[in-house]
Amino acid sequence: MSNSEKQNPILFFLRESWLLMVSAVFFGGLLALTDAAWSPKVKQNATGKFADSAQNILAAAKTFEPLAEPLMLTVAKGKQAAADVRKGLDDSGACVGWVFVAEGSGFADKIKLVVAVDAAFETMYGFSVLACSETPGFGDKITITDENSYQAQYRGAPVGEFTLVKVGDNKKIDNEIIAITGATVTSRAVVDIMNAYAVPLKEQLAQKGLLQ
Amino acid sequence: MSQSNEMTVGQAFMGGIWTEIPVLRLMLGLCPTLAVTTSVKSGLTMGLCVIFVLVCSNFVVSIMRNLLKPHLRIMMFTLAIATFVTIADMYLKAFLPDMSEKLGAYIPLIIVNCIIIARAESCAAKNGPIVSIVDGLAMGLGFTMVLCFLASIREVLATGCISFSDSAVLTILNPIDKGGWFTPWRGMVMPVGAFITLGLMLGAVNQLNRKKM
Repeated sequence: MSNSEKQNPILFFLRESWLLMVSAVFFGGLLALTDAAWSPKVKQNATGKFADSAQNILAAAKTFEPLAEPLMLTVAKGKQAAADVRKGLDDSGACVGWVFVAEGSGFADKIKLVVAVDAAFETMYGFSVLACSETPGFGDKITITDENSYQAQYRGAPVGEFTLVKVGDNKKIDNEIIAITGATVTSRAVVDIMNAYAVPLKEQLAQKGLLQ
Repeated sequence: MSQSNEMTVGQAFMGGIWTEIPVLRLMLGLCPTLAVTTSVKSGLTMGLCVIFVLVCSNFVVSIMRNLLKPHLRIMMFTLAIATFVTIADMYLKAFLPDMSEKLGAYIPLIIVNCIIIARAESCAAKNGPIVSIVDGLAMGLGFTMVLCFLASIREVLATGCISFSDSAVLTILNPIDKGGWFTPWRGMVMPVGAFITLGLMLGAVNQLNRKKM
């Protein structure tokens, strides 16, 4: 430390850290530029994926209209969160069903679903997976859509409390869901997600007089 | 900074590709090696991200090497590495969203990948930009090669084929569910498959080294 720096410690501080400060400004600017350039594309991907998934399970709907006031739900650890609920409208503007985004913890990471139900919120049309990092070959079977799949058990099931069982007839459509062999944790996670969202949303929509 | 550890372009290249290949010789970067090698596509994407980050961070560290103060150097390395990892992560989210979802936290975790900070410290902070870029490229290539090789063994044994996209699937062992003879070893996509395959690869490399000695 020179004599002038001993008299003025700010000089010493600047001499020691100017490179870090300049670099932080430079790298921060680089990240800001990158974010400005690519974030619209990231948002577009998210919107596009939601629209594609919702359209797949609620084909009669042409547009998905968000609610004027968001519905609040109690999610994990007692936290309140706004649920993304949208009304599916056909060409004439009539409500043909509801879609909502539901998420919860899976085996590996969060599982995020788009769930579709009918206009009266009585019957499920099914669900589509927006995000899933479950084990390949086991838990990721929740993304399979064919008629013998785990997903197929929810198509036409009544909206209510689902229970998970390990054995049973997966062709029978009711509130008993047969777990995927080797992926019980993932199967239970999906059931828990459905239970956390479907009935509470139905009650709130009914209270607001939005159900037909 | 000391200039005693300067290396040539050839040494840097061969080091990354073989003599100091990160996973098999230096035993660095094992976490993503075990985690993302369930498919060749994931391994390749992770490898390309690591190449990008290694080349860029090595270049930046190399051009500022004479200005680095010893007590600030790790902070400077981390700042540069975190910036390029964030750019790679944003790129995947924007242009390869499915792959970004599949790799999940492992892309942001490149920041703490030991290969990158090790190369910044042992090569880029002591060598010029050309050598540093070649070193980053070669280390990244070596890492990517191991990831792809490991992933191809695991994917073939777990599914019978290598999938590059929904339409481009290379069938190697005709699986029983498609009318073939091969019963897929599902355990190969689980962590146990990664440990066994990597262990066998390390054993083979050690055997090879012993013979050379």
